Amino acid sequence: MTVTTIDSATASRAPDRNFKYWVIAPAIFLLLLVGLFPLVYSLIISFQHLTMTEADTSFVGLKNYAHLFVDTRLWESLLHTVIITVIALPLELVFGMAMAQLFLERMPGRQIFVSLLMLPVVISPIVAGATWRLLLDNRYGPINQIIGWFAGHPMTLLWNVNPNLVYPAIIFCEIWQWTPFMFLILLAALSNVDKSLTEAAEIDGAGYWRVFFKIVLPSIWPVMAIALLIRGLDLVRIFDIIWSLTAGGPGTMTETISIYTYVQGFSQFETSYTAAIAFLVIALLTVIVTWAIRRMGLAK
Amino acid sequence: MSDLKITRLHKRYGLVPAVRGIDLDVPSGEFTVLVGPSGCGKSTLLRMIAGLEEISEGTIEIGGRVVNHVRPRDRDIAMVFQNYALYPYMNVFENIAFGLRARKTPQDEIQKRVKRAAEMLAITGLLDRLPRQLSGGQRQRVAIGRAIVRNAKLFLFDEPLSNLDAQLRDEMRSEIKRLHQELGTTMIYVTHDQIEAMTLADRIVLLKDGLIEQAGTPLDLYERPATRFVAGFLGSPKMNFIPADYVRDGSGAAVKFADGTALALPRGPEGNRPVVFGIRPQHFSRDPGSLSGQAARVRATVELLQPTGSRAFITFPLGGKPIMAELASHDVQGPGESLDLYMDIGRAVLIDPETGRVL
Amino acid sequence: MSAVETKPLLQRPGTRLAIRYAIAIVLTVIFVFPIYWLFMISFKTPAEIFAFPPKWYASKLQFGNYVGLFKDGDAVSVLNSLILAGTSTVIAMVLGTMAAYSLVRFKTGGENLAVWIISQRMVPPIAIIFPVFLLYVFFGWVDTYHGLIILYTAFNLPYVIWMMRGYIEDIPLELEESALVDGWTRWQVLWRVVFPMARTGLFATAVFTFVFAWNDFIFALVLTRTEVITYTVQVTHYFGGQSNFWAKIAAMSVLGTLPVFVAVAFMQRYLVRGISMGAVKG
Repeated sequence: MTVTTIDSATASRAPDRNFKYWVIAPAIFLLLLVGLFPLVYSLIISFQHLTMTEADTSFVGLKNYAHLFVDTRLWESLLHTVIITVIALPLELVFGMAMAQLFLERMPGRQIFVSLLMLPVVISPIVAGATWRLLLDNRYGPINQIIGWFAGHPMTLLWNVNPNLVYPAIIFCEIWQWTPFMFLILLAALSNVDKSLTEAAEIDGAGYWRVFFKIVLPSIWPVMAIALLIRGLDLVRIFDIIWSLTAGGPGTMTETISIYTYVQGFSQFETSYTAAIAFLVIALLTVIVTWAIRRMGLAK
Repeated sequence: MSDLKITRLHKRYGLVPAVRGIDLDVPSGEFTVLVGPSGCGKSTLLRMIAGLEEISEGTIEIGGRVVNHVRPRDRDIAMVFQNYALYPYMNVFENIAFGLRARKTPQDEIQKRVKRAAEMLAITGLLDRLPRQLSGGQRQRVAIGRAIVRNAKLFLFDEPLSNLDAQLRDEMRSEIKRLHQELGTTMIYVTHDQIEAMTLADRIVLLKDGLIEQAGTPLDLYERPATRFVAGFLGSPKMNFIPADYVRDGSGAAVKFADGTALALPRGPEGNRPVVFGIRPQHFSRDPGSLSGQAARVRATVELLQPTGSRAFITFPLGGKPIMAELASHDVQGPGESLDLYMDIGRAVLIDPETGRVL
Repeated sequence: MSAVETKPLLQRPGTRLAIRYAIAIVLTVIFVFPIYWLFMISFKTPAEIFAFPPKWYASKLQFGNYVGLFKDGDAVSVLNSLILAGTSTVIAMVLGTMAAYSLVRFKTGGENLAVWIISQRMVPPIAIIFPVFLLYVFFGWVDTYHGLIILYTAFNLPYVIWMMRGYIEDIPLELEESALVDGWTRWQVLWRVVFPMARTGLFATAVFTFVFAWNDFIFALVLTRTEVITYTVQVTHYFGGQSNFWAKIAAMSVLGTLPVFVAVAFMQRYLVRGISMGAVKG
């Protein structure tokens, strides 16, 4: 009898071979439509000189990109973004960790506390901002009232107008909404730490902080790193809370990069220039994410 | 007529070969057991028969039809998986009926067949239960029920008993044997357990490194192993191996061990050469009359005694090696004892130390 | 004299527990108070809202503020949010689970495709919204349901694929192989084995996907005008101007927040896995 040798070309005719492509195709198509297409399109228009009224599609080379460097409002908005991120992120982490430590040990009714504490996380940031706007109102808000009790006389702090208070206002709101996020993730991560490891270290005579830094922290690091990455990325593109609380004001004092991009695109109608800014943002984020992933050892 | 015919079958994962050219012909109604150590390619072979792995080279025919590019569903096979593969969200009835529904079997026919399968396996009372409400043995029965309800041409079993405890395993083993006798279907059964292989098989196919080491009836492989590997793999405790010098002169054939012990053999090949002498623990006795063939006497000093009830295993030195022998419990008192043992020398094997083949 | 009594007060187990409870209660009050205040304002009469000093609770539960929202038609924005988030969630779950299945079982596109997909999640909305807006103007999709549904679906797909990848990996391969041998096609196996096996994961992921779309602001801000305004955009319409819109801000915010609270109450067990993008398996 003759021996049939099957090479890979005939094997690929096997039925069901294309199934794996058919199931993934619709998702890839949508991702390309909404993910890749806009990038390519904005790359093209970033080399043109379009505004809402100007339909001239001739190319102007790097003019828009050159303008980025002299646009002080852009760099200020980047600085605002960085300020909010570097203050809010560590605070959320530290507070979240402290809260997780508090609830790590069993206590009756713990689940009730945890359930209540998770509420801020799922609220829309727009609503969170609006809520804090109400809380921080100089006359009818309860926060000034409470501060007044401690100060001994009525306080009328203008939280969303006073240049010294707008950042604290934003960061209070940010921390209020997202500390529970850190808390929940860290609590889960801490509960998963192998008890025998910490107990062995304690028997060996290691103190609380030593156990924490040498055993607990390394065990939860992979999870903590992802939580930091998720929150860090959210903070860099912060928009909703600020829109609700200050809308970038007073003046442009709290304008973040996302707010500024929006203003350029949808109130100044600088079409091509906005595309250039968007590309700057994407480039910066790519660098940060790549760095963070390498640095945190997340690349598996 | 053969239900399964495998020709020059190869499987490579990238450059790593898993199956390296297997030819196999399984006659209709035979219970074939594929056995071997882990990594020998037995599961890969079974999964290729099922159509769950692609074939790198060669052909598989089921019922006279080449099925290389036929989907599993069109191969007319049924398979029992190691982890039972029961759908946790379906009750037992639906689990068993699942394959019939795929083939658009009429509802009353489904009822009838599931009922019959359930009776056969004594699980009629469990049909409304969900898998998680069943014990391990019951789940196993459901998994088998799902296979037999299909009336497939070929039944495949992938280590179906390995997740059961020892007692249930014995029970299910006889259950499967009984089913095969009742149904008469061709069955291919993969296991790494040589006792399962010996008790279940009409024919054992012993695999090693992606090749068939030897195929034959259980007794064939046990009594006439082709290689040292086969001799060592089948049987418990393992066959004893002693390096020896084989001599053949005018007076007959003999082996000489390193410690000077010499044993005369009833027959043997021509020429003098180094060999490995193999003898099973079961082929020792204290009573030369109980042995079927020529007996050779050895003096044994018991170093270790492992009683197992009616039988006892002793370990003693011979030819510089620790040798194990199986005796009746009352034949031996304890360690340190010195006794005369008789070896059924006709059933010993001589192995070429270079090639590992039995001479 | 027992050992407990000789210990300093702060180290006694009872004292420690009491202190932990005290801190826990204070923390919970701090974190829940803003939500309480929001809900409370929504029940206050204008006179109570603008009382000075502020009143800490509404004198009685009155739903006038909510009735107002329904009377002037603003409440329709909640319905819009429901339609947009609901439809896009269903589509994203189906397409995303299919894609995740392909990634898990066939390693389609290797690790690179999976990484590309999740990197799509990291693109800031502001960077893609502008060209998407131009595209939508061209197609006439601005201020339409399908426009936003497509965008929400695409934006949530990476999340769904990422999460469902984890849940599908937990399904024993043998269940699918058994179904294939039993006579089902690949598509039937996907529908009859994979979907039911992953149903808790599907449900949990769907809740989060819904919440993301429900809570979105920036896409809706840019791509809606008058017809399909969502509740988040509606809330911001009450900003500025005089503060007599406070009641509306609060009532609309509560309407948008309550469904999310209810959804999450059912999904508590999966919350951490959901928000950590699968980094913590509950």
